[in-house]
Amino acid sequence: MRILIRHLLIILCLFAATPTLAKEWLKETPSLTALVEAGKLPAVGDRIPDDVQVAQLRSDQVAGKHGGELRLLMGKQKDIRQIVIYGYARLVGYTPELKLEADILKRVDVLENRIFTLHLRKGHKWSDGHPFTSEDFRYYWEDVATHPELSKGGPNKLLVIDGELPRVEYPDQYTVRYSWSNPNPYFLPALAGARPLYIYKPAHYLRQFHARYQSEETLARMVEESGKRNWMGVHVNRDRPYKATNPDLPALQPWVNTTYPPSERFIFKRNPYYHRVDQNGRQLPYIDSIAINIASSKLVPAKTGANESDLQARYLRMDNYTFLKSASKRNNFDVRLWQTAKGAHIALYPNLNTNDKLYRQLMRDLRFRHALSLAIHRHEINQVVYFGLVQESNNAILEEGVLFKPEYKSAWIEYDLNHANQLLDELGLTERDDRGVRLLPDGRALEILIQTAGESTERTDVLELIHDSWLKAGIKLYSIPSTREVFRNRIFSGEAMMSIWSGIENAIPTAEDSPSELAPTSKYQYQWPKWGSYYESSGKSGEPPDLPAAQELVELYDQWAHAYTHEQREGIWHQMLGIHRDNMFTIGIVNHVPHPVVVSNYLHNVPATGFYDIAPGAYFGIYRPDTFWFDKEGL
Amino acid sequence: MPAYILRRILTMIPTLLVISALVFIIIQLPPGDYLESHIAELQSQGESVDENKIQFLREQYGLDKPLLHQYWYWLTGMLQGDFGYSFEYDLPVTEVVGDRLFLTVIISIATILFTWIVAFPIGIYSATHQYSWGDYGLSTLGFLGLATPNFLLALVMLYFANVYFGTSIGGLMEPQYIDAPWSTDKMVSILEHLWIPVIVIGTSGTAGMIRRLRANLLDELQKQYVTTGRAKGLPPGKLLTKYPLRVALNFFVADIGNLLPTVISGAEIVAVVMSLPTTGPILLSALQSQDMYLAGSFLMFLALLTVFGVLVSDIALALLDPRVRLGGSASK
Repeated sequence: MRILIRHLLIILCLFAATPTLAKEWLKETPSLTALVEAGKLPAVGDRIPDDVQVAQLRSDQVAGKHGGELRLLMGKQKDIRQIVIYGYARLVGYTPELKLEADILKRVDVLENRIFTLHLRKGHKWSDGHPFTSEDFRYYWEDVATHPELSKGGPNKLLVIDGELPRVEYPDQYTVRYSWSNPNPYFLPALAGARPLYIYKPAHYLRQFHARYQSEETLARMVEESGKRNWMGVHVNRDRPYKATNPDLPALQPWVNTTYPPSERFIFKRNPYYHRVDQNGRQLPYIDSIAINIASSKLVPAKTGANESDLQARYLRMDNYTFLKSASKRNNFDVRLWQTAKGAHIALYPNLNTNDKLYRQLMRDLRFRHALSLAIHRHEINQVVYFGLVQESNNAILEEGVLFKPEYKSAWIEYDLNHANQLLDELGLTERDDRGVRLLPDGRALEILIQTAGESTERTDVLELIHDSWLKAGIKLYSIPSTREVFRNRIFSGEAMMSIWSGIENAIPTAEDSPSELAPTSKYQYQWPKWGSYYESSGKSGEPPDLPAAQELVELYDQWAHAYTHEQREGIWHQMLGIHRDNMFTIGIVNHVPHPVVVSNYLHNVPATGFYDIAPGAYFGIYRPDTFWFDKEGL
Repeated sequence: MPAYILRRILTMIPTLLVISALVFIIIQLPPGDYLESHIAELQSQGESVDENKIQFLREQYGLDKPLLHQYWYWLTGMLQGDFGYSFEYDLPVTEVVGDRLFLTVIISIATILFTWIVAFPIGIYSATHQYSWGDYGLSTLGFLGLATPNFLLALVMLYFANVYFGTSIGGLMEPQYIDAPWSTDKMVSILEHLWIPVIVIGTSGTAGMIRRLRANLLDELQKQYVTTGRAKGLPPGKLLTKYPLRVALNFFVADIGNLLPTVISGAEIVAVVMSLPTTGPILLSALQSQDMYLAGSFLMFLALLTVFGVLVSDIALALLDPRVRLGGSASK
């Protein structure tokens, strides 16, 4: 047993022992020198944690120098949260190889995936210079997450395992322990997420807005001034680490917002207390500030082409590529093509919960779904819509993912009209009307209405091509555009027969990532919204899954959540992926759609290629923008 | 006259109440509420949503209350000068709109001046030189302005301004001046950017005004008192400005009612295309995301200005033109 436990004691290993650094080794940041000399800011040696993290550069990166302003374009004010995503300072974070490593934390000890001991860095400080300690974790847990008024519904559901809240302890100033009696496989990935679970809060700042620490009169005045309904509103409004709308809120990110909204231009300045330094003793980030200009999202490609951004991928699309490429000759930037990490760029979702009884039976018949897939000419779609640049594939794991198997990608995706027709004939749909469209047993024509969210013409273009090849199999397709909200409500209610959307969000997962996307666990899964809703609400709404394969997926998902070892989890992942391969619950069309990334020629250390997606990459986050640098001052 | 004004102001109250109800109902018509479209947006970008948090926000924003309650809350708030809370910006509505109002007014006034300066001489010339080459030429130009889609013109001009003058695309100033204190450089930068939206928004208005001025003036110029005046040897300039032009200006005064709201709202579509920091894009995005108090209060403000503008133009007309009567029934 002891051996077993030792095996289960996985220590997430960290940046090799960090030696106590001699302070002479550190170099002051030029833009902060004046402040330090004026005595307004401590010297760099006193700003960084005692056990500072030395950034390990990748082989394609070189150590740089300080300075410069990074210009970015965003479509709305709300987009400034992207800097928190790009900055990607997390308690634990993913490396570009998608391994979890401690980042803000010095170390995490994990026992049986259920007891997590978090070790903070001694001397780590918030961006305002106040020490970052276990008190900040205590404030989150006792004063926010489990506060009866501030969190009426209880803590985030990722912290609740089989109805049980964690035991949270604070053995000393630099140690925090979360423990459950059953494994919590969501905990670390949630801390590492692009939108992370914040289990720490700047207590010294937020106390002034909390009823436990602040007098009623002062709170009443604050409520009045901010136009909120009560003090909880004020507290939530002040405490938005992800949205970055409050410049007064201390942070641990490489850059912190200095502009009060509303504005058309936001300046994020370097956090002088950031916890990473490079190998030459320069405190990161290299870049002094980030300037975000808000422009209409439709103008972003044009503005990027006019050299108004140093690093742009948001709001650029594949069809801007040729324009940007030609503009790059006039202006000093490079256009790179990164990959997207979605299982399918476009996928069809037959609604297994659709209201119409006949269609529901059809959708649930595997032969029917196979026939639909075989009657799609994916190669033609690739050539016509995507210039042959993408891969024809199921909605499955990408080959870059560790869980990839070729069969997941390629089962039933060849274009084979004979086979499709044969399958449909087997289903008894042999009668046809004068258009050649097959008839259902009750005499109606086999007409499939596909809901689209009507946001891009790309999807309707693809549907147009599918329409032509399906017609050869005797199926008539109509696409129904609507707004995103209407689209979703039609799917939830079962009114939608089929819909078109993108595929698996994170298609390069590891066995440690939750396979929830593969099982009916959420109503936002358009192939089985009612089953998902049933799981999500613990049976209060929706319908229980009645297809054996779907029931098995739910069971496997449960097993995954309770698994103790990596091998178990990996085995479960493959079982679930196998069920998807055999059942074709969603019909993927293409994936590996490139995403243009514009990089100024002055900007260094941006990878030539990478994954541009929010999960698991946090867009640029896992490539560590704090190590990007300019080789020319004041561009 | 005072009794007339008082009566008009009193009738404004029920009008505005009806408008407020209509505005509120129309904003609520699309399915769902702000939080639902917010969730939809987050999820389409792959961001996680915490249902507990959403529930909390729903209570904070009062979206869990019945519609009638929300309407009442909004209406009574407005009467006390509280225009509600913008969910999207997480700020009181007044703070969201405040900064942009000033720039919107600048653009609008510049556009109106541009329209008048161009339209008046051309309109008068076309009317006095009817069917001449000049009339035909200028009318053609005017029709072109009327017929060219604004957004297309905006894009074309943005492109050329960027390529030939190096002006940054969109916006109303170079990025470094945003939120900077006012300075000569900032003014120059604004002027460099201002002319494009002014011309783009102005062209269609100019064309319309030329046509209306020409038509009204032509009506008057045919009348007998003009012929009489000319026969008696009045100089042509005086003959034109003394009566026909003044009478032809009635339409112009009547137009003030529409002018006030446009000054505040700016031209929405052009502003969106050119990404101008005016109020138009805010209104549009508020309607899209169902940020109901922001959209509602803004529309109410526009309605108030329209109602008020109509009153002002009615009074001005009554003062200008003795033929206009205040009472409903004409006395013989």
